[in-house]
Amino acid sequence: MEPPNLYPVKLYVYDLSKGLARRLSPIMLGKQLEGIWHTSIVVHKDEFYFGSSGISSCPPGGTLLGPPDSVVDVGSTEVTEELFQEYLSSLGESLFRREAYDVFENNCNTFTNEVAQFLTGRKIPSYITDLPSEILSTWALS
Amino acid sequence: MARAREEAGDSRLVSGREPSSRIIRVSVKTPQDCQEFMLAENSSVHHFKKQISKRLHCDTNRLVLIFTGKILRDQDILSQRGILDGTTVHLVVRTHLKGTLPGPRTLSGPTGHCTHRSEPSTSESAGMLARLGRLGRLAQSSPDLADFLGQLAQLLMAAPESVVQLLESPVVQGLANEKPANASHAPESSRLVQKPESALKALESLQNPARQQELLQVDKRGLEALKAVPGGDNAMRPVCSDIQQLLLFALAPLVASKGHNPGSELCKEEASPHVNTDPTAIPTALAPARPLVQKVRAGEVTQARCVASNQANPGCGTGMPDVNSGQDLLSQESQQPAGRATVTSQLRPSPSALRRALHVLQKNPTLLHPLAAGSPLRHRMPLLPLLTNPRALQALIQIEKGLQILSKEVPGLAPCLWGPGRPHGTREPPETRGGGQGQRADSVQPTLAVLQLLQALANACSQSTQSSLPSSLLTEGCYQQDLEHLKVMGFANHDANLQALMAAGGDIHAAVERLLGVPEAPVPPADAYSAPPHGEGGGGRGRGGEGK
Repeated sequence: MEPPNLYPVKLYVYDLSKGLARRLSPIMLGKQLEGIWHTSIVVHKDEFYFGSSGISSCPPGGTLLGPPDSVVDVGSTEVTEELFQEYLSSLGESLFRREAYDVFENNCNTFTNEVAQFLTGRKIPSYITDLPSEILSTWALS
Repeated sequence: MARAREEAGDSRLVSGREPSSRIIRVSVKTPQDCQEFMLAENSSVHHFKKQISKRLHCDTNRLVLIFTGKILRDQDILSQRGILDGTTVHLVVRTHLKGTLPGPRTLSGPTGHCTHRSEPSTSESAGMLARLGRLGRLAQSSPDLADFLGQLAQLLMAAPESVVQLLESPVVQGLANEKPANASHAPESSRLVQKPESALKALESLQNPARQQELLQVDKRGLEALKAVPGGDNAMRPVCSDIQQLLLFALAPLVASKGHNPGSELCKEEASPHVNTDPTAIPTALAPARPLVQKVRAGEVTQARCVASNQANPGCGTGMPDVNSGQDLLSQESQQPAGRATVTSQLRPSPSALRRALHVLQKNPTLLHPLAAGSPLRHRMPLLPLLTNPRALQALIQIEKGLQILSKEVPGLAPCLWGPGRPHGTREPPETRGGGQGQRADSVQPTLAVLQLLQALANACSQSTQSSLPSSLLTEGCYQQDLEHLKVMGFANHDANLQALMAAGGDIHAAVERLLGVPEAPVPPADAYSAPPHGEGGGGRGRGGEGK
C-alpha cells in the first residue's frame, strides 16, 4: 500500500495583549505573564479556532489578529481534510458547541489542544494551557 | 465473553496471534466521549474495530482510528503502532462512507447525531471548506492560482448568490466553455465573435438548478459561519470588491470585442503598455472564477487550464474603466471608500445587468476606439463600486458632463484630458451652457452610450440589490415608467429619452423639457428648469402622459 499523505500541523499563537501583558502583568497581577495567548490550529491550509461563536475557520492568518506572533510546529498527520471536517463537525456538536465556550475552562486553547492531540498525538505547549490557572491563581489571592 | 476471560489476566491468545500477548487498556476517544477497551496488545486493528463497533453499534467500516496522527489500518497490530497500556486512540465515526450518502450516526454519545445540513455553521463551513480544499488542490499546478482561488472561494462564501450569478452569467460561461485548452488570445476573441449567442443559450440550458441551489444553500450557511469569524469579513470585502470588479472588467471588452474585432485588438495592444497597477489581480481573479464555476458545475478539473489562457485577455478590461468613468479621477478617491462600503451592501451585479451593459457596448463599439487608444490617466479604476452605486453613477455622469464643458471652454485642455485617441474632443450634454453645437451629432452618440451603459448598470444593480437601497429601486422604477411615457408622448428616440431622464434625475417634466430643448435652440445659460415657451407645452404633455 502506498504511504499515505502527511499533512503538516501548525499551531498559530497570538498574544491578544500585543505585548502589554508582558509589561503590565507584574504590576497588575503580581506575576509575570508573557502574554495572553490565543491559539489556532493550521492544517490543510486552513486556520481553525474556537471562539464564542463556535468553531470557525479562515485562511491562515486571516483573522483580525493578523499574522501570528509565533508558530509552533505540532507535527504531521495523516488525517485527511474530509476526515478532519467530520471530526470538527462532531466536536462542534459536543464539546465545542458555541455555547460551551468558557474563557477559562473551555476556550480556544482547550480546543487547539484537543485538536492537536487528535491530529498528531501531541499536546500544545504547556505555557499556553497553563494560562487560565495562572491568572486564576492571582485572582484567588486578591 | 472472550474479553472478560482476558481481563482476568489470562495470557491465552485471543486473536490467534503470538502466545505472550498482554492485555492492555486502551482508551478510545471520540468527540463525544471516551471509553476504555481491554484487548491484547498484539491484536489487529481490525479486531479492535470490531470490539468498538459492538459497543458503539455501528459498522466497522465507518470507524476511523487515529493514533499519533496516523490512521490505523485494519491489518496493523496495536503494539506495532505503539499502542500500549493506557494510551488513547482517537476515533472518528464517519457519517458516510466514501461517496455514499450521509447516514445517521450511531455513536453512543448522548446528543451526538450529526444530521448534516440541519446543523449550524460548522458542518456547512466544513463542507464548503472541503470543497474549497479540493479547489485549492485543483490549482496546485499553477501557484499563482492557488491564493486567488482561495480568495475567490472566500468570496463565494461571502456573496454566494451574486458571485454565482455573476460567474454563471452567460458571457462568463461562454468564455469558460470556449477555451478548453487554448492558450492563444486572438482565437479567443474570434471565438467569442463567432458564437457568443449559442454559448449563452447552451450554457443556460445546461445549468443545473439543483446543484446550484445546493451550492447556494451551503454557501449561505458558510457565509454565516464566515460572518461570525472575527476577521473573515474584513478579508472578504476587498476580495469581493476586487474580484467582482475585475470580472466585470473582463466581461465587457470581451463581449464588445465580439462586435468589433479591431477594437479588441486595440485593447490588447493597449493591454501591454497599459498594464495597470494590478495586472496579476485581473487575470488571476478571473482565472479562479472560471475553475470555480467549472468545478461547481461539472466537477471537472481540467478547466483549470483554461485559466491560463485568459491571462492577458482581461487586460483589455483596462479599456472598460475609461469607457464608463471617463476621466473621473477626481471622483475616484472619494468613491473608493464609498464604493467599498457599497460593494459590501450591493454584492449583486446581476447577470442581466451585465448583459445589458455589454449589449450597450456592443451597440456602440466605437466607444472602444478612443478609449482603447489610451488615456494618460488610465489606471486601475474601482469600476465596480462605481457601477453598483447609482448615486456614484449619477455623480460620474455629472463629472463627465463637467469635463465636457471644460473641454469645450478650453479646447486646449482636451488633449491633456482625453489623450490622443479620443476623436470627440468636445461633447455636450443637453444642459450645456453656452454655444458650440457643432459636434453635437457625433459627440452625443458616445456620450449617450456611456450614459446608457452607466444607467443600465445602475438600474440593474440597484434592481438586484435587495435591501440596501430602496431609493435606487424607486428611481429605477420611475425610469422605466417614464421611458414608457416619453415613448407614448412621441419621443421616439429612446437614447435621448434615457439621457434626458437621467440628466433630469428622474423628473419627467424636466426630461421632456430637455428633450424638447435639445434639438432646437441651445438651452439658455439660465436655469434649464425655467420654463421656456416650449417647456410648458412639454410639461403639459408630460402631465398628459402621466395621466394615463
